Amino acid sequence: MLFFSRSKILMILGAVFIGLLLAIPNALPEKAREAMPGPFQRTINLGLDLQGGAHMLLEVDLSSILDQALINERTAINDAFRRAEDRPRTEFVRPDEGTILARMRTKEDADKAMPLLQNLSQPVDPTQLNSPKTTRVTRESDKNIRVTITDQNIEFIRKQTIEKSIGVLGRRIDPNGNLELILAPEGDKRILLQVPGAQNIDEIKERINKSANLSFHLVNEKDSTNEQALSVAMETGRVATSDKYFPFAESNGRGGGLIVVERTRITGDCLKDSSGGPHPTGPGAVVNFSFNVGCATEFGRMTARNINKRFAVILDGEIITAPNIRSAITGGSGYIEGGFTLESARDLSLLLNAGALPAKLTIVEERTVDPSLGADSIRAGKVASGIGLLGVALFMWLSYGLRFGTIANLALSTNIILIAAALSLFGSTLTLPGIAGIILTIGMAVDANVLIFERIREETYNGKTPINAIETGYKRSMAPILDANITTLIAAITLYFVGSGPVRGFAVTLAIGIVMSVFTAVIFARLLTATWLRGKRPKTLPI
Amino acid sequence: MKDISLVRILPQEPRVPFINVRMIAAAFSVLAIIASIFLFTTKGLNYGIDFTGGTVIEINTNEDPDDEAIRNALIDMGFNGATVQGIQPPVGALDQEGNPITHRLMRIGLQLADETGEEGQGAQQAALKRATDGLEERIGKFYIRNTEVVGSQVSGELRRKGIMSVALALLMVLGYIWFRFEWQFGLGAVFALAHDVILTIGVFSLTQIEFNLTIIAAILTIVGYSLNDTVIVYDRIRENLRKFKKKPLPEVLNIAINDTLSRTILTSLTTLLALVALYVLGGSALKGFSFAMIWGVFVGTYSSIFVASPLLLALKLKRGANTGGERAEV
Repeated sequence: MLFFSRSKILMILGAVFIGLLLAIPNALPEKAREAMPGPFQRTINLGLDLQGGAHMLLEVDLSSILDQALINERTAINDAFRRAEDRPRTEFVRPDEGTILARMRTKEDADKAMPLLQNLSQPVDPTQLNSPKTTRVTRESDKNIRVTITDQNIEFIRKQTIEKSIGVLGRRIDPNGNLELILAPEGDKRILLQVPGAQNIDEIKERINKSANLSFHLVNEKDSTNEQALSVAMETGRVATSDKYFPFAESNGRGGGLIVVERTRITGDCLKDSSGGPHPTGPGAVVNFSFNVGCATEFGRMTARNINKRFAVILDGEIITAPNIRSAITGGSGYIEGGFTLESARDLSLLLNAGALPAKLTIVEERTVDPSLGADSIRAGKVASGIGLLGVALFMWLSYGLRFGTIANLALSTNIILIAAALSLFGSTLTLPGIAGIILTIGMAVDANVLIFERIREETYNGKTPINAIETGYKRSMAPILDANITTLIAAITLYFVGSGPVRGFAVTLAIGIVMSVFTAVIFARLLTATWLRGKRPKTLPI
Repeated sequence: MKDISLVRILPQEPRVPFINVRMIAAAFSVLAIIASIFLFTTKGLNYGIDFTGGTVIEINTNEDPDDEAIRNALIDMGFNGATVQGIQPPVGALDQEGNPITHRLMRIGLQLADETGEEGQGAQQAALKRATDGLEERIGKFYIRNTEVVGSQVSGELRRKGIMSVALALLMVLGYIWFRFEWQFGLGAVFALAHDVILTIGVFSLTQIEFNLTIIAAILTIVGYSLNDTVIVYDRIRENLRKFKKKPLPEVLNIAINDTLSRTILTSLTTLLALVALYVLGGSALKGFSFAMIWGVFVGTYSSIFVASPLLLALKLKRGANTGGERAEV
C-alpha cells in the first residue's frame, strides 16, 4: 500500500497539477485568462441564481394546434370534394371527437369519396422512406367515412410546433444573438427558457405572450355595413360559414368590428421583411412591410379585383387597420397604419420578422433573480466556505497534530481545487445549492482521512510498528471508504436524475466532491504519508 | 519538534454500552416517529411555492420596510391571502447600485385562489404585474431582487418528483447494501434511513420552516450522510464478526460501534463546523437547507448507533460462513 512506482507518482502529481491549472483561471482576471491556452480558459459556469437572470418554463398550447389541424383537414376535404370532376355529394363534413366525420348522401357518393380522401393522406415526413401517413380513412357504414389524424402525425405536429416555437422565441428575445439564451424542449409540451443577466423581464414576457399572427382579409362590405348582420356576427362570431367577425383593436380607437372573408393566402408567412418607421404623410408611425414574390403576386391580384373595397389587417384576432383599396398594389410592399407610436411599430416589426408563434405559450414557472442578489449569494457562499474551510482545517490540526493534520489539510485543499477544476472542465453549472454542496463536501471530505487515521491509531495501539500500522490502516480502511462513498454517490446520482434546476447543481457538486475526496484521501494523502515515512523513518507515530 | 494531537483525548478503546440501552433507544425512536407522523398529519408541512404553486417576490426598499403598509396595500388590491415577511439580507449584501443593504428585505407571497385551467395560468403572470404595479403606486419605488412563479400543474409534478426521488434513492441504496452485505444489513440501513427521513419531516412540521425543493435535496443528502455513517459501522461489525467468533452478538455489535466512535465524533464535528458557517452566513436562501442538514447530522449519527445496529439483532442476523463476505483477509 505504501510503495508507489515512479510512474504512479508522476501520474498522481500530474493529475493534481493539471487540476490546479484548470482551477487557476477562476481566480484570474479576464485579461490574464485570455492569454492561457484553450482548455485552461474555461471557468466555472454560474447558474442563473448566482449571475442573475430569468428561468422560465413555457407551456405550449398543443390542443389548439391539434384543433387547427382538424380544421385544416376539414377544409382540405371540402376542397378535394369541390375540385373533383365527379363531385361526391355530402350531407356534412364536421369535426367529431377529435376526428372528422363525413356523411355522404348515398352509398355511391361515399364510394366516390373514399379514393379522394385516401389521396389526401400523405406521408408525415416526405423526406423519409416508409413514413407513416398523416391520416387514416375508415368507412364506418355505407354513408359514413371517418378521417382520423394518426398518432405519428400528431407527434410530428407536436415536435414541429415545439421546434418552431423555439426558433421564433430565439429570434424574438435575442434578435442580435448576443444574450447566450438557453432554449430547449422540456418534456412533451414545454420549453425551457433561460436568459442570463436579464434586466428587462417585462419586455421579454411581452414578447412571449404575443402570438403575432398577422393576416390580410377582404372585408365583406355588404354584411359589415348592415347593422343587423353585424350585431348577429358580434354574438355568434359569423354570419355565413366563410365569413368571420373580428373586433377592432383598442389602438385603432373606434370600437366595433367588421365581418371579413375568413380564407386568405396573405399571412405573416408572406413577409420578407418589415420595419417600424415614421408615417410618410401624417403623425405617428407605421410598420413598413414587403412580401415575398409569391405573395406579392397574390396580393396584387387580390387588390386589383377589389378596388374601392376594404381589406382588414388582423393581428392576433384584432383588426389593427382596414384601409380602402384605391388601386392595385403590385409592388409587394406597403405600410400598415394603426395608431402606432414609433416604439410600438418597431416592437411589432420585430415580432413580425421573428415569425408568428404556432401556438399560445403560457409561463407556468418563472424564477427570476436580480444580478445583485446573485452577487450577494456568491459573496455569502465565499465567506461561508472560507470560514468552514478554515474551521475544519484548524480542527484537523488540533486533532491530529502538525504532521497528520497537514496531510489531511493538503488533501482537503487539493480536493477543493479539483472540484473547481472538474466544474470548469465539464462546464457544469454552479448554483447556490451547489455552493452548499461544496461547503458540505468540505466537512465530509475529511471523513476518509479521519477513518484512515483512526485505523492507524488503532493499529499502533495494538502494537504494530509505524510502517505496519500505516500500511494496514490504509488497507483496512479501503472497503468502508468505498462502500460509504458509493452509497452517497448513489443518492447524489438519484438526485441528479430526478431533481431539476438548482437541485441538479447541488447533485453535481456533491457527486464531484465525493469522487475527488476519495482520490485525495486515499491516493494523494497516501502518497504524502509514504513520502514522509520514507524520509523520516519515525520510531513512533505522532498521532 | 513536539507534535501534539488532541485526538488522544478520546479513549483508545472506549466501551460505552450502547447496545445495552437499545430498548430505551427503541422506545425513544418509536415515540419520535409516532410524534412526527402525528405532527405531519395534524399540523402538516409549511410547503413552499415549489409544491403549492404561487408567487413569491423579494423586494428591497430604500429604508426599513413598513410591513403593515405593504400588507394593507396588498389587501387593498384584493390579494387577501398575501403573506408579508421581513428577512435579513445575507452578509455583505449590496443593492442594485452597489450600496450596502442595511435594512430588512421583504418577502411577499401571493396565493391565487383559482389558478387551475388555462386562463388561471396566464392569470398568475397578470396578478404578479398587477401586484408590483399597484405596490409601487402605494408604497413608492422598490427593487425586485427575486421573482418566483410556479403554476399549480408544475408544483404538482415537483411534489411527485420529490417523493419519487427520496423513495428511489432508498430503494437503490437497499439494493447496493444487499449486494455488499447480508440482507439484514440492507433492511437495517433502510429502516434507519426511513427513521431519519420521518424525523426530519417531523421537525419541519414542528418548526413550520418552509419545505421546498432544496429541503428535498437536504433530505437526500441526509440519507447519504446517515448511510455513510451506517455503512462504516456495518463494515466494522462484519469485520468483528470474523474476528470475535466466540463473543455473543450484542457484544460484537457494541465493540464495532465503539471502534468507530472516534471517527463518528470527528466527522460529525467537521461537518457541523462547515454547516454552521453556512447556516449563519449563507443568507435566507440556504437557512432551511443548512438547518435540515445540521439536524440530519445529529439524527443520522444517532440512527447509525441506536437504530441501524440494534436492528441487526432484531432481524436475527445469522453468524456463520455467510458473514464472511468476499474479503476474508484478516
